Amino acid sequence: MTVLTPQRRAAAPPTAPSQSTKRRPWASRGHLAAAALLTLAFVSPIYLTIVNAFKTQSQIIQNPEAPPAPPTLQNLTEALSRPDRIVQIGLMNSAVTVVASLVLIIPLGAAFSFWLTRRSAGFRRIVLAVFGAGLMIPPAVILLPTIRILSIVHLDHTYPGLVLSNVGGGYLSFAVFVYSGFLRSVPKEIIEAAAVDGAGSLRIWWKIVMPLLRPATATVTIFLSLWIWNDFMNPQFILGPLKGQTITTGLYLSLGQYSTNYAQLFGVMFLAAVIPVAGYLVLQKQFRAGLTAGASR
Amino acid sequence: MTTRARPRRGDPALGLIAVVALGLYVLFIIVPVGMSAWKSLTDENPLMAQSHFIGLANYRELLHDSTLASSLSFTLVMAAVVTIVANAAGIGFAILLNKTSLSFRMMRAVAFLPQVLSGVIVGFVWRYIFAEDGILNHLLTALGIISQPVSWLGSPDLAMFSVGLVAAWVLTGFTTVVHLAALQSIPVELYQAATVDGAGRWQQFRWITFRMLAPGTTISVTISLITMLKLYDIIAALTGGGPAFATQSTALYIINLAFTDDRFGYASAVAMLLLAVSAAIALSVTGLLRRREVDL
Repeated sequence: MTVLTPQRRAAAPPTAPSQSTKRRPWASRGHLAAAALLTLAFVSPIYLTIVNAFKTQSQIIQNPEAPPAPPTLQNLTEALSRPDRIVQIGLMNSAVTVVASLVLIIPLGAAFSFWLTRRSAGFRRIVLAVFGAGLMIPPAVILLPTIRILSIVHLDHTYPGLVLSNVGGGYLSFAVFVYSGFLRSVPKEIIEAAAVDGAGSLRIWWKIVMPLLRPATATVTIFLSLWIWNDFMNPQFILGPLKGQTITTGLYLSLGQYSTNYAQLFGVMFLAAVIPVAGYLVLQKQFRAGLTAGASR
Repeated sequence: MTTRARPRRGDPALGLIAVVALGLYVLFIIVPVGMSAWKSLTDENPLMAQSHFIGLANYRELLHDSTLASSLSFTLVMAAVVTIVANAAGIGFAILLNKTSLSFRMMRAVAFLPQVLSGVIVGFVWRYIFAEDGILNHLLTALGIISQPVSWLGSPDLAMFSVGLVAAWVLTGFTTVVHLAALQSIPVELYQAATVDGAGRWQQFRWITFRMLAPGTTISVTISLITMLKLYDIIAALTGGGPAFATQSTALYIINLAFTDDRFGYASAVAMLLLAVSAAIALSVTGLLRRREVDL
């Protein structure tokens, strides 16, 4: 894509300055109102999840859209005092799975991508195409064989098995794509200079390449944390129902029981959603920077 | 970029890490695809001690499987319709939100939120919205549009519509952000020149915005299609594939064949079919859209 002047970008949609100077206040107020209404309608399901988590069952049935007045914390305390502790256990298990997967994927993906920059262009293209397939293959297609492979090494229905399949699967593809894309913008001279200084490639990777790759690592960390946290099919079948629950499989199991007890349903859902939503709101700049980098490639 | 830098041959440590990464990828992506291909030629069933090679029998069964036909057509129609709807909505939403004041920045931030929630939560929230005593019926009754609660998830046609709506909602969060990023890379000079030439708003959209968005649209459409072809967790939580299997995606059908019916061999044949269909669609659509970028 050609960008004529990268400094000056269209921040607003085209408004012809000559004709719009007169109508501008009204036009822009109408624009704001339309945008606000549409955005509100768009996020209303999320609004419902938040307000109804703090309402009683009868408040929800009578006025589902009303704000909680008076708010109650009963749904949340009930969700947290279930005898099976499914929320606490699920949050814990998901957190452990995310951290363990990332601790392995990030160095593997980064080192592999760095190693790849030192191969021939043809080899690199083939490898990236093969990794691209990993992003496209529906997980349901490889689920059964994955469980079979894990059972050969006795890791089926275990957390290490789930982590291992995360590390080897499509998530690694994503990391390799982000790192490889980013490495294209790293000047070769920096790395060559270090090599001349006699540093080994492992040392160059750790001391020079990894710090340069920090923005890419941020993108990989943010998106993979979200995806692995939200993953449902793999924990559902690789762990199976007997080996404890992640937050998504626990939610699925427990919410099946509350088909009409909306107060309980929203209490559990709020607790399950609050961490990724809060994480996104805190890191939204990095989120969108990652998406933007991906989209412009 | 030069590939001159291949400085130290005797440096096995990095190579070792690369071998591990490549090995894991082969073990958990390539080998499973191969195993699926092999199993699709057998009658493997976890309840039977032995499985037998049965040639193409599973593939012959595919041709006569009406459940498969309906799940595949549901998946393909959903993929096509939802991709078009979500991308059209994303382009419109992105243009509407493409301003820099604080209120617009806040709106842009929350527009991505559906993407942050897990499909299971999305499915359950909407199951409540669509429930007989849920908020959608509550609102439509209050507005006088309906007099009787509608069973949004109870009849096959409405359930398909509902699943499509939810999937489009989730995807629009993504397509909006991608198109917002693409909008910001359009040089203002193009609009200035067009204004000088007397182009109206529609012409500017048609000839500048829409065309300059093309690279963003390529990514956005491709990822939308791939997401729709994989669709599983939203459906598992929202409808469970019902009523009467009307919303059973092909991914869900594979899971049901494997884990409910214990038909590993046949499930693998359906998996190979889904893989072939996904690959064909992803490759042809990406190729088509790339060519469109050049032509525009």
